[in-house]
This record gives sequence, structure tokens and C-alpha cells, in this order.
Amino acid sequence: VGDSGDGLRHGAGVATPASPEIDLAVLMDRIAGGDRDALRQFYQATSAKLFGVCLRILCRRDEAEDVLQEVYLTIWRRAGRYDAGRAGVMAWICTIARNRAIDRLRARGPLAGADPSEALEVADGAAGGEALLVQADEAAQLARCLETLDQRAREMIRTAFFEGVTYEALAQRVGAPAGTVKSWIRRGLARLKDCLQA
Amino acid sequence: MTDDPHPLSEDDATAAEHALGVLTAQERARAEARMATDPAFAAQVVAWRERLAPLAAEAPSIAPSPEVWAAVARGLPANDDAPLARRLKLWRGIGAASMTLAAASLAAAVILAVRPIPTPAPTPAPPLLNASLSGGAQPLFVVAYDPARRALVVTSLVPPGADPAHVHQLWLIPGDGRPRSLGFVEPGRSKAIAMSTPMADLVAAGSALAVSVEPPGGSTRADGPSGPIAAQGKLAEI
Repeated sequence: VGDSGDGLRHGAGVATPASPEIDLAVLMDRIAGGDRDALRQFYQATSAKLFGVCLRILCRRDEAEDVLQEVYLTIWRRAGRYDAGRAGVMAWICTIARNRAIDRLRARGPLAGADPSEALEVADGAAGGEALLVQADEAAQLARCLETLDQRAREMIRTAFFEGVTYEALAQRVGAPAGTVKSWIRRGLARLKDCLQA
Repeated sequence: MTDDPHPLSEDDATAAEHALGVLTAQERARAEARMATDPAFAAQVVAWRERLAPLAAEAPSIAPSPEVWAAVARGLPANDDAPLARRLKLWRGIGAASMTLAAASLAAAVILAVRPIPTPAPTPAPPLLNASLSGGAQPLFVVAYDPARRALVVTSLVPPGADPAHVHQLWLIPGDGRPRSLGFVEPGRSKAIAMSTPMADLVAAGSALAVSVEPPGGSTRADGPSGPIAAQGKLAEI
């Protein structure tokens, strides 16, 4: 209720139109109590989104599915540590999924993802009006603030977020020194923070 | 652009970079370790994760294959906490005759295949752990674990193509005695496994590792191997 993840929860609702009313926080409580059926329902409601997050980073279905499996086992074990007052359920589990997927990507070495041809051909929801429609205040505010960055910083921050690549890999992609890419991104993040706090 | 933003402090910039996901494996490990001991830094990372989290709503939704849920359901820990010895006995008892034969022929195949033992040599820093998993005198698998990178490298010394009817499933059996699946190891191949945070916490000197011979798709049991144990060993500092 009124937690910071509302935008994400609505986002997931769109992803799984068959069950828009599922209250993920209630399921999370039951999972923390060791309820396997709750985990199954939770998986049905959220796995497509988390798989999308992992696949975008790893680009390989087998590895992304491996990571996805780990993510749900992690959710099972750590559900009791989820703090509803702190973050939305989707935000919490997306963070777990991104972290696991990035850890796995790093096992391929620091330049994994440097070749954009490795990137998965998935439509980018960025420009989709539909995505914007379902976003709650926080997501809309983030989108608005991202718009205030110069295009280069915005694109790099988005690429880093969705694909989990290192500065080095980003630098190789755009043909600029890693130090330059780092200063573009840091500057962009600083501006983002200013804007979100304004 | 308009006016300059307020520059981020070095700590806040690192926190933002960690949340964004641009750090290298070593930098990530350092950031995670620092989060565990430095609440102010941890709070900065969490704040950045929250700032960036709404972006995830834009990630596409793609259905994973149905096997993933089956694997998750299998991987859920059992609710009993039988001691390891009893479990090992149980697994051994369960193996059907054909599976036991498969394990035996696997060991024999290795003895025939004389090949140098690859020694995985990752980076220095915190002490590396390694283990040689044998099914008798012969090592069948070599495992190295690098705590800095939280990467576990397993090398199968089983000849490629040996026993195509079964898969070799690697298990971590930490102090609590509950086997955790680390996935499959193909005969003759090396594989790096990135250990997730809670899993990485379970890897320590003395942790047991085992490889079971399983039907395709892996163990049919929720709580550990369903087939015979082909090799086992313990992690120790190099």
C-alpha cells in the first residue's frame, strides 16, 4: 500500500494481464512462511518479467534460465527479509535478478557485451506510449528526469542498466576511452539525482 | 545542456555505479563486501537502486521454458534436516542398478583416458579454495573457487561423450548438510559458475562437493541427488 514499487507492480500487471489483481506482497509473506504454492503463484505472476530482465543482460536463453532458477530459489530463502515498507516487491526481485544476471555476465569477462551484435533483438519499451501509461508517479518522474540528460549519457545509462555491461565494454561499443564513458555516465547520474530531488 | 549538476561524492558515485551495474567483477565484489560492513555506503547503494528501479518496468516480458519452474520446485530445500551421512546413504540406496553401473563405467572410462589434469588458475587475493572430487583413487572432477570473484570453476576429467544417457550434476553440501545443486557439468568440459550472494556465503573451506549421475534433466528429488554419487571431495585452501 503506497509503497515505492507501485509503478513496477503495475508494470508487472501489464506483463501478466491474466492476473492483474495478484497481491505480490501477500504472496511474499506466504513464501516467507514456507508456502510452496505461494511461490508457484508468485512465479507465474512474475517470471516472464524477470526472465526478460535476465535475458536482456545475458542474451542466452540457457544461461538466463539458469539464473532465473537461482533467482527464485533466492526469493524462497530470502522472502523473510523482504521489507514492504522499503521497496516494492517488483523492485526488490528485479534487483535480485539483475544482480544475479550481471554476476553471471561477469563470469564471461569484463568485455562481455562489448560487441553490440551479441545484443538480443528485443523491442525497447522506451518509446512505447503503453509503458508510460501504466507507470506510476515514480517511474514517470524517472523518465522525465532521464529526458533532461543529454542523449549520449541517457543512452549509456539505459544500456548499462538493461544490459549490465562494464564501462570497458560500453567504451568499446562507442569507440571512446573508458575514462570518458565513465565521466559521461557519472555526470549523467549526478544530473539524474539532482532532478529526482528537485 | 544547462547548468552543471552537483558532482557526486566518490562514495555516492561508486554506489550509483554498483546499482547501475557497470562495475567489473572485482569492483562488484568489493562493493558487496563494503555494503556488508559500511551501512552508510549500503544505504547509498539502496537509494540508487530505488532511483533506478522503475526502469525495470520497461524490460520486456518473455516467458521462460516450463522446465525452469520444474527446476525451481526441485531445488526447494527439504523441510527435514537429516544429517549428511544419512542422506548420502539414502542417495546411494536409491540408485537403480543401471545407474550404479553408469557410475562405475564412468570411473573406468576415466582411467582409460590418460589426459593431463587442467589446473584452473584464477586470480590471487583472498585464498582460493580447491577440491578434487574422486570416486575412488581417480579424480573425476577438479573444482576451484575464487572468493574475490565469487566464481566456481569446475573441470570434468571424464572423457567427452562418456555416458550420453546421463548427466553429471554438481552439488554443494555446506555445513547445514543440505545439498544445493550447482548445475550440470559436461564430460570433458570446464565451466565457470557465478555464485549468487546467499550461495557464495555457503562456500567455505570444508564444504563438501559431490557429483551425482542423474537422468537427463537432473535429479528427480527435491532435496538432493536422486542418482548415485560418482565423486565427492571437500574444499580446502590451496
